[in-house]
Amino acid sequence: MNTLQSVGHPSARIDALQRVTGKAIYTGDRKLPGMLYARVLRSPHPHARIKRIDVSKAQALPGVKAIVTHENCDVVWGSGDTRNKRYLFNNPVRFAGDAVAAVAAADRHTAEEATRLIEVEYEPLPFVLDPEEALKPGAPEIQPGGNLSPNNQGQRAPEVYRRGNIEEGLRNASRVFEDHYTSAHINNAQLEPRVSIAHWEGDHLTVYASTQGISNCHTEIARDLKLPPEKVRVICQFMGGGFGNKNQDQDFDLMAAVLAKQAGAPVKLEFTRKEDFVCVHGRWPTKQYYKIGVRDDGTLTAIQLRGYSGMGPYRKGTGGIAGIEIYQCPHVERTVYPVYTNMAVSANLRGPDYPQGVFGLESLMDDICYSLKMDPVEFRLKNMTRKFNDQVPYTSIGLEDCIRKGAEAFEWKKRWRPEPGSAAGPVKRGAGMAMGSFFSNLGRSSAVIDVDSQGVYHVHVGVTDIGTAAKTTMALIAAEALGVPLEKIDIIWGDTDRCPYSVGESGSRTTTQTGWAVVEAAKALKAQIAEKGMPQGKDILSATANPNPSIPGKARYSFVAHFAEVEVDTEVGHVRVTKYVAAHDSGRVVNPLTATSQVKGGATMGIGMALHEELLYDRASGQPLTAGYYGARVLTHRDAPDIEVLWIETEDAYGPYGAKTLGEPTIIPSVAAVANAIYNAIGKRVKDLPITRDKILGVLA
Amino acid sequence: MSRISRRKFVEGTGAGIVASAVPLKAQQSDTLSPGSAAGKRIQVTVNGALKKLEVEDRWTLVELLRDHLDLTGAKIGCDRGECGACTVLLDGKPVYSCSQLAVWADGRSVETVEGLARDGRLDPLQEAFIEHDGPQCGFCTSGQLMSARALLNRNGNPTADEVRAAMAGNICRCSNYNRYVESVLAAAKSSAAAAGAGRSGRKA
Repeated sequence: MNTLQSVGHPSARIDALQRVTGKAIYTGDRKLPGMLYARVLRSPHPHARIKRIDVSKAQALPGVKAIVTHENCDVVWGSGDTRNKRYLFNNPVRFAGDAVAAVAAADRHTAEEATRLIEVEYEPLPFVLDPEEALKPGAPEIQPGGNLSPNNQGQRAPEVYRRGNIEEGLRNASRVFEDHYTSAHINNAQLEPRVSIAHWEGDHLTVYASTQGISNCHTEIARDLKLPPEKVRVICQFMGGGFGNKNQDQDFDLMAAVLAKQAGAPVKLEFTRKEDFVCVHGRWPTKQYYKIGVRDDGTLTAIQLRGYSGMGPYRKGTGGIAGIEIYQCPHVERTVYPVYTNMAVSANLRGPDYPQGVFGLESLMDDICYSLKMDPVEFRLKNMTRKFNDQVPYTSIGLEDCIRKGAEAFEWKKRWRPEPGSAAGPVKRGAGMAMGSFFSNLGRSSAVIDVDSQGVYHVHVGVTDIGTAAKTTMALIAAEALGVPLEKIDIIWGDTDRCPYSVGESGSRTTTQTGWAVVEAAKALKAQIAEKGMPQGKDILSATANPNPSIPGKARYSFVAHFAEVEVDTEVGHVRVTKYVAAHDSGRVVNPLTATSQVKGGATMGIGMALHEELLYDRASGQPLTAGYYGARVLTHRDAPDIEVLWIETEDAYGPYGAKTLGEPTIIPSVAAVANAIYNAIGKRVKDLPITRDKILGVLA
Repeated sequence: MSRISRRKFVEGTGAGIVASAVPLKAQQSDTLSPGSAAGKRIQVTVNGALKKLEVEDRWTLVELLRDHLDLTGAKIGCDRGECGACTVLLDGKPVYSCSQLAVWADGRSVETVEGLARDGRLDPLQEAFIEHDGPQCGFCTSGQLMSARALLNRNGNPTADEVRAAMAGNICRCSNYNRYVESVLAAAKSSAAAAGAGRSGRKA
């Protein structure tokens, strides 16, 4: 791979100084003159009809300026549920935490107090938490028409993918393996709680949002509030994380806008940590039934999955259970039922469809390896994908190198035991691995670059910086494409009045899509400079690019293989990760410093998902029990092992300098790698996430 | 079941685990109406400057800093003593400022991230956080910095495990823990190297 001038060199974030001095301004740090504070009243019931709401006492509290409920607000949150209408305030309420009313007042304490003075009479309704239970006849009906969430065509049918003939594939197998797995509802738990400030000036609305995409947030706020898009402005620059839960417009953006309109003053709506955990969304819990056919030589003949995903009462994500495409296999059938339940809503969390699906799939593949007495590394090298779904060629694929070089760096042969659980003594070590892939599409995004007579290039891109160093990445790509030093680049970001459309910080697409727009705009600007010379005095030259590239006949994917070694204390069930290697093919790495941080972070999040995290519910009352960082046992400094990162930089002819996607692949195989390492250590398999101490002691008992 | 109140709902989940921290503000605002909230005059040294303030009894320290002194470096990530984003130094000790009442700071000294750089020079920790890519989203960074500063103040040459122990109360959901530990060890090293040679570092 050729060396470039700016791209590919480790570079500190261009806004790092603001981040370490407390000067980076996040949405919650903003204060507008006359700003009110808002709080939301939420349902204590998992399912109930609201018979009466009386806000008169709250209204009478000095300092209260606006109250909205389902009785005076019929705004539909269009990004919430596209199949059934989801209002900002619903009746019936469908989960413990569903919004009932919102209050704006002079200060937070008064708003909080006012929510307590609102009297609500509920008629509790029967509820159901488990997705498989919810599909049974006689289950409480959560949405009109039944609990199987309709697909994009509006049909009440599961999502099905088929290739070949599954019956034939199972018949062709020498052996058929069958097992089932579950994964838990876990929360994104980004450090910055959801917050929004809405400010009306006449009929013009400015929203200071905490969003993963100002452009989409902007058009969706306009859509949901029935405003012309030019009357809405969205601003979000520094942003305290989201991991998928701040895509699109959010109900709190709309609530703040509705309250601000009614109160005639700017309104800041902040969610509490507990609201953030149970009232918005986390990763969908799943039940997975796998059946895999294999020949004696380890060749796969069939993979069948029947899965159920609990979506909560409003559909917001796919509910997908993915990962099968990392294997080459002639006969595949995947059937997934996205089901309404009365739990917290489920939607995107880093690599939405993957980590849980890969956990189930790679657990069973691992069992197959031991049964056939094959090394899991060899098994994967034999069966790994060569073409997407065995049909479409990849633009580039570094999966084999991820597996081989990752195994070498990890010292796989030394750490993995052919005989699981064979270590002597109560503290046992073992090693496991898993692999994954994630689409790295190209598509629409825009950039505008101006150059002034001082030779400063002002790059307008509609990115926010959610932690991925998007701003720095755009600057590096611009510097490279323009052939100027990084210091000559000025990034204008995070404001829909000043930036063109950008795809948003979701789907790991900013580098590949907006980065490509920057390359194209730079090309156009350089052509202008060549023709007209550099601008003089107060003149500027300006170039715009709105590319929408596609790659007909090819699939563009990133690839990854993770290797974990664990130490399991079989007397208390405690697991410690003692070695971890993450090998990634994301094409060319634009900024090795920040990209390596992302891999370390994603892998560590996956370890937390494997070992700790779950939003537990009380089956009898439908109440969430473990909201918050302590309850979810989110990993701390003390739990985080050293993650060694290995870059497999394949040449890819597409995207900015061949960069492929990165943010989400980092978590995809980590859960399964840890699970497989635990099996290798103790010789017993825990099939339900998270793999907590009690479950380990349970399988050992 | 229809007797479950919102209060119970708010306090119920997970709050049992941190019972002392959660309902603090709620209980107080039961008895205090706005405008007439009981207040107290206090004197606090904030980042070296003495401040005379009138504060409401129900204000937390982080509320005082963020809403009334415009020091928004300390963040509110949970408001219940779980995440550490609000960590500041109170008389040199790291505390969760969401779990301290403002009135308790009377007569004491508070240091926040805004006070880390001195005489226009960055703290070696800030330098190292930049160089080693400590912050991803950056929301936990101020808290990480303050816990690290407290550690280096009492132990200038910590091991990696000592760093992890000292910062265990600061959650980073971007999970950039490796980078933070790396940064703190680098800062300790550079501080030791610079000791005796006078304070150096880049301009704040």
